[in-house]
Amino acid sequence: MSSRKVPVIPCSGIGKSLGSVTREAAYELCDTLRPDRTQLVALSKLVLGEEQARERVRGGFAVTIDGCKQMCAAKLVKHSGGKIAREVAVFEVFRRYKGLKPAGIAELNVEGKQLARALAEEIAADIDEIAEGDIHA
Amino acid sequence: MPDLPRRKAGIVACSGEELAEGTVTRLAALKVLHELRPGNTVTICLPLFLAGGEGDRAFARFHPTITVDGCELRCAARGTEMYSGKPAASIVVNELAAERGVGKIEGRRRLNEAGKQAVDVTAQKLAELVDQFVGKQDGPEQVAESTVPQPSEAKIATCSCGSEVAVNEVLIAGERVELLALPLIFQHCREKGRAPEAAGEDLLQNVKIYNYVPPEAEASYREAIVREYAAFCAREESR
Repeated sequence: MSSRKVPVIPCSGIGKSLGSVTREAAYELCDTLRPDRTQLVALSKLVLGEEQARERVRGGFAVTIDGCKQMCAAKLVKHSGGKIAREVAVFEVFRRYKGLKPAGIAELNVEGKQLARALAEEIAADIDEIAEGDIHA
Repeated sequence: MPDLPRRKAGIVACSGEELAEGTVTRLAALKVLHELRPGNTVTICLPLFLAGGEGDRAFARFHPTITVDGCELRCAARGTEMYSGKPAASIVVNELAAERGVGKIEGRRRLNEAGKQAVDVTAQKLAELVDQFVGKQDGPEQVAESTVPQPSEAKIATCSCGSEVAVNEVLIAGERVELLALPLIFQHCREKGRAPEAAGEDLLQNVKIYNYVPPEAEASYREAIVREYAAFCAREESR
């Protein structure tokens, strides 16, 4: 098993609830579900080209979580030379959880938090595979 | 840069996920957008400056942009300058918080009391800057978005966050070319009283600031822009 932590990069889009879902899911994943196997990387640092952030995403497979079809997080990780093990698009995952309608940006509603939790649980399973080395380029 | 009408202030927050101060930037920006100055502000996702298209990057060239960063890395300020334009003003939360005597900010996912206080202090500072740069919403220099006529079939370059710059398809030398910001450029030119036959060079220079115009195609662009401007003026006169 690799001791390296998997970089998790949400888009944290500020204009819509799904952007907040990406952020909440990333916190759920990195702070609660898989704190020993994941490492949150701020997308703003990648935008700026901050060297430590770039090194983190270049060092192995990353997970990106995007709220809209612009897929900013995925694009920026690739732009920074990183490899992506799982490219999550919340607007697609959302279709599988149609009962959960996220609302609110500054403060997500309960359903938004539930969607984030469900999303984080899905990704956690992938994180385990990545950490075990079961996902290869 | 031409003296184009400036409608709203753009707020770019770093939203840094790793630090509580990043959460403060996000919540402060949202507080200004939704509560304190809803009519005078828009926001832009910082990542869109790199990941987005030209329409997203064009935003800060049109609007006074205020960046708000959590830490001294100043990712929002530097990223905005790199990919769009120099911010009109910048705030760094940990510096502002220290200046205002705010306690230790903690809780990147759920802010502590000091973090909530920092949100209020930062939002207030942002609102003051918005007032400084765009004034009151109904001031004489303002051009409300709904009153800017569109020169032809305009669409809006918009991101998930609501930044908007009009994009028009114009027929130039037999090809359809997308041009940014024609409505604002045309309106500004018309307000200066320029007749279409005398406005060609002025229009072209303004269009070139926000769009790439191949040097060998300038004459074709000028002809097409003047034609669109004449149609714009005719529509305005018939209103």
